[in-house]
Amino acid sequence: MCLGLLLALGCGRAPAGGPARGPAVVTFPGSVLGAEGQVLRRQLARFAALRPDIRVVQRPTPDAADQRHQLYVQWLNAGASDPDILQLDVVWTPEFAAAGWILDLDRFHPATDAFFRATVTANQWHGRLYAVPWFVDVGMLYWRTDLMSAPPATFADLARVASHAQAEQGLRYGLVWQGARYEGLVTVFSEYLGGYGGRILDGGTVTVSSPAGVRALTAMRDEIYRDGIVPQSALTWHEEESRFAFQNGEAAFMRNWPYAYALMEDTAASRVAGRYAVATMPAAPGGRPTAALGGAQLAINARSDHPDAAWAVVEYLTRPEQMLERARGVGQFPTRPALYAEPALARALAIPPAQARAIIEHAVPRPVTPVYTQLSEILQIDLHRALTRQQEPAAALAHAAREMQALLDRVGLGEGGPGAGR
Amino acid sequence: MRAGEGAERREARLAWRLVAPALATILLIALFPLLWTVWESVHLHDLRMPWLGRPFIGAANYLEAFRDARFWGALGHTLLFTGVTVTLELGLGCVLALAMNRAFLGRAVVRAAVLIPWAIPTVVSALLWRFIFEGQTGIANTLLVEAGLVRDPPVWFIHSDLAWVPVVLADVWKTTPFVALLLLAGLQNIDASLYEAARIDGASAWRQFRYVTLPLLKPAILVALIFRTLDAFRVFDLIYVMTGGGPGTSTEPIALYTFNSLLQNLRFGYGSALSVIVFAITFALALGYIRFLGAGLTETRA
Repeated sequence: MCLGLLLALGCGRAPAGGPARGPAVVTFPGSVLGAEGQVLRRQLARFAALRPDIRVVQRPTPDAADQRHQLYVQWLNAGASDPDILQLDVVWTPEFAAAGWILDLDRFHPATDAFFRATVTANQWHGRLYAVPWFVDVGMLYWRTDLMSAPPATFADLARVASHAQAEQGLRYGLVWQGARYEGLVTVFSEYLGGYGGRILDGGTVTVSSPAGVRALTAMRDEIYRDGIVPQSALTWHEEESRFAFQNGEAAFMRNWPYAYALMEDTAASRVAGRYAVATMPAAPGGRPTAALGGAQLAINARSDHPDAAWAVVEYLTRPEQMLERARGVGQFPTRPALYAEPALARALAIPPAQARAIIEHAVPRPVTPVYTQLSEILQIDLHRALTRQQEPAAALAHAAREMQALLDRVGLGEGGPGAGR
Repeated sequence: MRAGEGAERREARLAWRLVAPALATILLIALFPLLWTVWESVHLHDLRMPWLGRPFIGAANYLEAFRDARFWGALGHTLLFTGVTVTLELGLGCVLALAMNRAFLGRAVVRAAVLIPWAIPTVVSALLWRFIFEGQTGIANTLLVEAGLVRDPPVWFIHSDLAWVPVVLADVWKTTPFVALLLLAGLQNIDASLYEAARIDGASAWRQFRYVTLPLLKPAILVALIFRTLDAFRVFDLIYVMTGGGPGTSTEPIALYTFNSLLQNLRFGYGSALSVIVFAITFALALGYIRFLGAGLTETRA
C-alpha cells in the first residue's frame, strides 16, 4: 500500500486541490442496480472501514455485456488510467491481456490453487494470470423430476425420454435451448461439441469442423427437424424464452444457466416449482459431459495510478466470506471449490452445492484467445445457417473454420504464428 | 461608377462574412467527419488489436470488402429491400393519396389518422410487427390458420426468404402514409380546371389520370422517390430489431453490417471503408435521380 501511495505521489496525479497524502482513489465500474448493487455497496462499505487509506468510487456502467465491452475498449484504447478495476466477462480476459490493457496479476502472488481450475485457465494468457475469478456461471441441463427418476447420461437417452414425454404426457416440447444467432448459441454448441469429444480451437488451429464437430451440429439440427423435440422457434430464442417455456411446464428438459433455478421456484409464476433438478449436459460415447463456462472476473487497468490499492480491493472482494455473501444476495456461484462444503453455501444457494459443484467440475472455457469474440461471431452465423437449414452442418462448419483460421493467421495467432506479437 | 463597384465589393465581402458561420458549421459537421472516415478507411485500425498498430494500408480495406461474401450479400439484401419497399410504397401511397384527394365526409380525420403509423417510432413498430410474427403461434399465424390458408404455420424468422415478409410489411405499413401525404400535396397543386377541360374533351378517368395527373404529379413523385430510396437504402433500426439480420445473415442490410464491423467489432478501418462505399452509392443514387428525373422536374416547373 505504501507503494501505492508513493506511486500516486510520484506520478503527481493526486486529485488536484486535495491534500498531498489523501486516500488513494480507486474507481470501479460495475452494476449498481438491484440486489447485486446492494451487495457490492455493503461489501465496499466494509472495505472502507477496514482500509481508510483507500477510497473506492463506483462507476455505473451498462449491464449489457456488449455495451460494457465497447465502453471498456474505448476507455482503454485511449490510455485512460480510470477506471482502475474492471469487471470482465470470462471471454474478454485474453483480449484485454494481449492488448496490454490489464495488469499481469502474478506480481501479487494470488493463490490460484484455491479457485476452480477452469476459471483460472480462462483468465490466463501466456501462462500468466490477468484477472481473478469472481463468480462462476455454467451451462446446465434442467430436468423434470416428476417425469423421470434420473437425468439422461447420453444425447440418445435424452431424445428418447423427451419424445416419450411429448407423446405420453402431452408436453409441447421435449427440450428447449437458446438457438438465436448470438453468443448463447455458441455456448450451447460448445456443450454439444464437448459431449461429442470435439473442440473449437486447438492452440492456433481451428478444429471445429472435425468429424466430432459435424456430429454435434447434426445432432442439434436433428433434435429440431428429425426428432421434433426442440421447437423451431428456439432458433429465435434467448435464455428467457426458454425459461418461460420450461417454467410453464411445456418442456421436459431445458439447457440454461443457474440464474433460472431460483426464479422458477416462485410458485406464483412457475408451474414446475419443486419439480425440477439440474445435471450436466449429456454426452455421446467418446465425448464427455461439458458445461460452458461463464461468469465475471476482476482485473486491474494497466495504466492505473494505484495498482496496489486496486489489488487490495480485488483481493477483498474475492475472499471466501464475500463470495458467500454474493451467493446469499444474488445466487452467484463462488469460484472457490472449498466453499462448496460449507453449510453456509447450502443455505445461500437455491441449487444444492454438491450438484452445482459437480457441474462446475465439467466446465470448459470457450477458446482462450484474444480474438474470441470475432471467432464467435463467425461461428454464430454458420451455426445458425446450418440450424435453419440454409446449409449442411459439414459445409457450414467448414466455412466457419476457414474464416476463423484466416482471422487467426491474419492477426498472427495462427498455428506457428509469432504469438500475439508481444 | 467606382464608388458603386466599391460598394458592391463591400457588400460581397459582407455577404461572405455573414455566411461564414454557416459554411464553417457545414465543414465541421458534414465535411470533416466524411474526410475523417475516408482517412480511417485507408488505415488498418482495429481497436481491439492495438498490437497491430495503425499503419496506412491503401486500398486494402476496400479490396477486402470486394472479396467479402457477407458484404455482397448485405448489398444485395439492401437493394432487394429498397426495390420492393419503394415500389410498394409508391403504388399504395398513390392510391391512398387519390382517395384522400376526393371530397368526402370526415376527410380531415382520415388524413390525420393515416399518419399514425408514420408517427410511431420505428423501433416500437418493429417490436410490434416482430411480436405479430413471432413463433409458431403468433398473431399472424393464428389468423392464417383460422382463415384456413395454412395448416402448418411457419416460424417466419428462421426462413431466409419468409423472414423478409414481416420486415417488408412493417416498412410498407409505416412509410406508405408518408408517401401518400407527399403525393396528396402534389395532387392539390393540380388545377381543377385541367380536369374540367379533359372531361369536356371526353377523356376517360384513366386518360385523365395518365395525361393530367401523372405528369403534373411528377415533381411530388420524384421527391417521394428520392426520400424513400435513400431512406430504404440506409435501413437499419427496423431490421436490427426484427431479425438482427438473421437467420444467419439472410436479412442483413449494408448499414447493419457496417454498424457491426465498426461498433460491435470495433474495426474502425474496415468499417469506415464500408461506410465510404455506402456513402458513394447513396450519393450516386441521389445524383442519378436528379439527372434522369430532374429534367422533368424543371420542365414542369418552367
